[in-house]
Amino acid sequence: MSIDISETLAVERGSEPAPPVVRPRMSGRKWLREMGWRHLIGIAVVIFAAFPLVYVLSASLNPTGTLTGSNALFRSLSLENYVALFTDPNRPYAAWFANTMVIGLVTSVATVFLGALAAYAFSRLRFTGRRVGLLSLILVQMFPQLLAVVAIYLLLRGIGDVFPVLGLDSQIGIILVYLGGALGVNTYLMYGFFNTIPTSIDEAAKIDGAGHARIFFTIILRLVAPILAVVGLLSFIATTSEFVIASTLLSSNEKLTLAVGLFRLVSNETNTNYPVFAAGAVLAAIPVMALFLWLQKYIVGGLTAGAVK
Amino acid sequence: MKQSSLMKVAGVGALALALAACSGGGGTTPAPSQSESAAPQGGGELVIWMDQNRADALEDVVATFQEETGTAVEVVVQDFESIDDNLTTQAPSGEGPDVIVGAHDWIGKLAQNGVIAPVELGDAAGDFQEIAVDAMTFEGSTYGVPVSIENIALVRNTDLAPEAPATWDELVSTGQAAVDAGSAQFPLLVGIDPNNADPYHLYPLQASFGGPVFGMNEDGSYNADDLQLGNEGNVAFAQALAEWSAAGIINPNISQDIAKEQFASGASPYTITGPWNLSTFQDAGVDYAVSEIPSAGGEPATPFVGVQGFMVSAYANNPIVASQFLTEYIAGEEAQTAIYETGQRAPALTSAFEAAQSNEDVAAFGEVGAAGVPMPNIPEMGLLWEDWGVAEGQIIAQQGDPAAIWTAMADKIQSSLDG
Amino acid sequence: MTTTVPKDSKATRKRGIDAAPQSMKVLAVKILLLAIVDAVAVFAMTLLFFRGDWLVLGLVAVVTLLVNIVYLSPGLLPGKYLTPGLIFLAVFQVFVVVYSLYIAFTNYGDGHNSTKDDAISAIVLQNTQRVEGSPAYRVQVVEGPGGLGLLATSPEGEVLVGTQQQPLQPADPASVTLEGDRAVAVAGWTSLAQQDVLQRQQEVAALQVPLSDDLSDGFLRTTDARNAFVFQSVFVYDETAGTMTDTTTGTVYSDLGNGQFETADGDVLGTGWQIVVGPENFLYPLENPRFGGALFGVALWTFAFAILSVGLSFFLGLFLALTLNDPRMRSRKVYRVLAILPYAFPSFLSALVWLGLLNTEFGFINEVLFGSANIPWLTDPWLAKLSVVLVNVWLGFPYMFLVCMGALQSIPEEVTEAATVDGANAWQTFSGIKLPLLLVSTAPLLISSFAFNFNNFNTTYMLTRGGPRMEGVTENVGHTDLLITLVYKTAFEGGNRDYGLAAALSIIIFIIVAVVSAISFRQTRALEDLH
Repeated sequence: MSIDISETLAVERGSEPAPPVVRPRMSGRKWLREMGWRHLIGIAVVIFAAFPLVYVLSASLNPTGTLTGSNALFRSLSLENYVALFTDPNRPYAAWFANTMVIGLVTSVATVFLGALAAYAFSRLRFTGRRVGLLSLILVQMFPQLLAVVAIYLLLRGIGDVFPVLGLDSQIGIILVYLGGALGVNTYLMYGFFNTIPTSIDEAAKIDGAGHARIFFTIILRLVAPILAVVGLLSFIATTSEFVIASTLLSSNEKLTLAVGLFRLVSNETNTNYPVFAAGAVLAAIPVMALFLWLQKYIVGGLTAGAVK
Repeated sequence: MKQSSLMKVAGVGALALALAACSGGGGTTPAPSQSESAAPQGGGELVIWMDQNRADALEDVVATFQEETGTAVEVVVQDFESIDDNLTTQAPSGEGPDVIVGAHDWIGKLAQNGVIAPVELGDAAGDFQEIAVDAMTFEGSTYGVPVSIENIALVRNTDLAPEAPATWDELVSTGQAAVDAGSAQFPLLVGIDPNNADPYHLYPLQASFGGPVFGMNEDGSYNADDLQLGNEGNVAFAQALAEWSAAGIINPNISQDIAKEQFASGASPYTITGPWNLSTFQDAGVDYAVSEIPSAGGEPATPFVGVQGFMVSAYANNPIVASQFLTEYIAGEEAQTAIYETGQRAPALTSAFEAAQSNEDVAAFGEVGAAGVPMPNIPEMGLLWEDWGVAEGQIIAQQGDPAAIWTAMADKIQSSLDG
Repeated sequence: MTTTVPKDSKATRKRGIDAAPQSMKVLAVKILLLAIVDAVAVFAMTLLFFRGDWLVLGLVAVVTLLVNIVYLSPGLLPGKYLTPGLIFLAVFQVFVVVYSLYIAFTNYGDGHNSTKDDAISAIVLQNTQRVEGSPAYRVQVVEGPGGLGLLATSPEGEVLVGTQQQPLQPADPASVTLEGDRAVAVAGWTSLAQQDVLQRQQEVAALQVPLSDDLSDGFLRTTDARNAFVFQSVFVYDETAGTMTDTTTGTVYSDLGNGQFETADGDVLGTGWQIVVGPENFLYPLENPRFGGALFGVALWTFAFAILSVGLSFFLGLFLALTLNDPRMRSRKVYRVLAILPYAFPSFLSALVWLGLLNTEFGFINEVLFGSANIPWLTDPWLAKLSVVLVNVWLGFPYMFLVCMGALQSIPEEVTEAATVDGANAWQTFSGIKLPLLLVSTAPLLISSFAFNFNNFNTTYMLTRGGPRMEGVTENVGHTDLLITLVYKTAFEGGNRDYGLAAALSIIIFIIVAVVSAISFRQTRALEDLH
């Protein structure tokens, strides 16, 4: 309940300037007019966003349910499915979970880094082919990926012949593949944000004798923290839920990611195991939400507020 | 890669140990050849692609095989459904598996793509159920060792329908009576997709109108040049399907999952399903019995029989070991029984099949399957499923004259077949 | 993210004196990183050299050289920042594009899966069949001066030996070693132990020992090195003529340049091979008017679907970002976290759940929310369109919400403050100042999101597979089909997977999307220049 610095800073940037002191004394009617509707919308959105997933939660607590046709929510509450997740040696859920976290975190940190480097170049440096370069980055990623799986499989097999650690069924290999998408939309998102940082800051630092690398690493990166957090989160989510490439490249049971491992629970020909699958999916969503909770303060916290001014 | 190279090292180590034990005991093998065969490239490593269920079931068999032959085995777990596609794209590179598990109806396509090799069963072919070997045979060659046989049948809730219905009318009237009495909600449950129906689950009913999908050659194989889908019996089935839909006997909103769940909760006296759902019914405490599907159109309502088996890649690095593994281990009673016990599908090996008859569910499904026909394994079959299902979906949704929809579908498939 | 920032960066920035030692450190790090990259490259090149992989070797050498030039020369600043990302992009994304382009000009697909050599051996192998009623021999693999051979024991106990070149001949019973009633060794030949057989198993499996000088008598072949059967090849490949002959009917199939063996009157052998077919695949829509006709309606819906999906999820996301941004809302963090839930779940799971929720008779939506109404959400043409968009917005709005939350931070405070001082109300501030600024920074994302949804195969395919089917059209086209699902159905589902056609059609789609996007980018640039 304590108010941290980021929140107080955010107040300055809020759309409706109101000193925090007013907060407890707001009259009922005013509260309704200014805040009540926000809560209504918040609740409506939460219902819209969460109700299909409440279904999943309900299924995960029911040892025998399926995903369709069971409209009586929470008719049984048992942790059996969750226990099953961690006790079956043929389904090393804990290992899948750890793999997903490692792949997700490494990919997102590297994506942020590569993307920020590129965005800095596009935003601060002037060179021929800058516009075309930006445009092609985004166009390349619009290519329909129907054949991507075949191509990437062949590519990694070739790489694996030279460097087995980077080949098929390797987590480093799959991270590299994901990094192929590091530039693109993310670069644009960062580029837009970089452009809003006044160049006068760079120039002042240059006068102080700082080189371009120092300006980038020590000044600019801190100022663009919100967008770094956003891109990191987007990349983490995209990586952890990616299925097609992971299912082609990873094959050993103990190396799978959550998306692939979970899918195997329900793709056993006609022998599907929805309840355990639902339990696995519920747990899989937790890291994403935890990461978001932690990054929120960077995204909206207005850490940059003081610096930009 | 770290893990699998570790496995390789372990495999080579095991091989060396086994050899050392061999030479220590008997001393028959000359020393030089022993050190040669312990070299990393020697003997190779048998790579098997299977799904998790079968990998679990065969753990002991694979261990025995490794021990007895000194061959290292790498089991790569894959989704059953994607094994055929993965083999097709990955085998030509030479990096694919030696052995896969698969469904018999993939065989035509896999052979057309040149990625599986025939396996000569020799006299051992006689040890298997005939339908299983027939199903694994394509254009005169047998592609692999069958392990399980599956088919659908009528499962009834014995509290709601104590006796197996002798005729279709009896099934409908008992079902309807149960609904009218309020003891059930649906006269019959057949799991289908609202837009694409399910030709597989509806096929027994279609067959009872006398309509096969392809004509047969003299040797019992399907003739791709003789599409029978548009024949009179099949059109009569289309009419009947529309009537059943109008009467609420076939309901487009009942998916496989819903059918399973509703039957498990006692909402219907009958469902048409396979052995894979029985464990759910047992867990739910439903008293059930399995019997043949009564004929709706006069002819026997025979289901498609599906057979699963192990096949050898045409690009296998270890063709001899692969073949030995299939003909001596997978064809053995231990492997067949192990797979049967985890999947509840009847074993293909006759001795194991007979032993499994002590389980009355297996016996009942087996009896229904004995009258069935193997699902066609010719590559042309792939052209049928989509249009066939969509047409059934349109008929069930009452989107026009059933005979016209059916005939148009058959004509379109015929023109695709003609290229 | 800020691990490279020294702890006292604020202090250094103010003083700005210890710049020299810092750049020494930077230089050291740079040299070290370059050294690692070069070492790895040299290692790879050595391996490639010994494998004789010259093309790849050349590529690696050029890239390594470029990297060194970029980082060692004093200028080339943009290169220093762009190279790392571009290398990944080139290896993993551009390769896919190039590969797809190549496939588009080939006939790669079912029946054309590999090389001609592979096809020939597959045809011969598949049509090598056991002679009916022939005896089963027990064999021992042996090696003699003429190479590998088989020592065979017939069911009657007769012992024979032969090689690929030398047909089976009876062995002298005196020189044969028996184990039980099976011959295991013969004088003049070395018996191969099991391990040796395993080492040479490709050879053993390929070994065919003729029964007699007359090849039509068949040959012995073993698949397990223990038992052998008499086989006959139904198809014989004539290497000089390049033809395949069916020995039972005498039909001769030849290669007419179509990647398959065929007769003059159009009889084709099922197994063919991959060849380059030129622009044929690109002409498919023109040559198949029924497909071409279906394209138009589907293209319209594809645009509508992509625009609706992006528009609705963007406005919902933006609205939420604004609404849930009020610092006085104590519970806003909770709302925010719950609002991104749809994004945190694996999306194929979400699609499965929605499929169940939207079921006409059993779905939660009809049963609970609409009081047991039977609304055909996924089977009525218009409702199915609505459902697909609804689910897609549900899946997509958290992304827009996150992006808008980030982008709102980039709008300088002064701008809105000034407007408020000037007496503008909240709505005026938003629509006049914030929205245009926001659009400038998010426009590229909206465009790429449009492109993504244009090709959004998963949502549509998992919910409706393109259905319900359009009536009166013979092609399998449904009311919710997108161009990409139509391509998938055309190229893969007709039982015959045709990668060449899929690649060509997806390139056509790519051109459409790329042109639309490029034009939109010009528009946004105009917008950007306004500010």
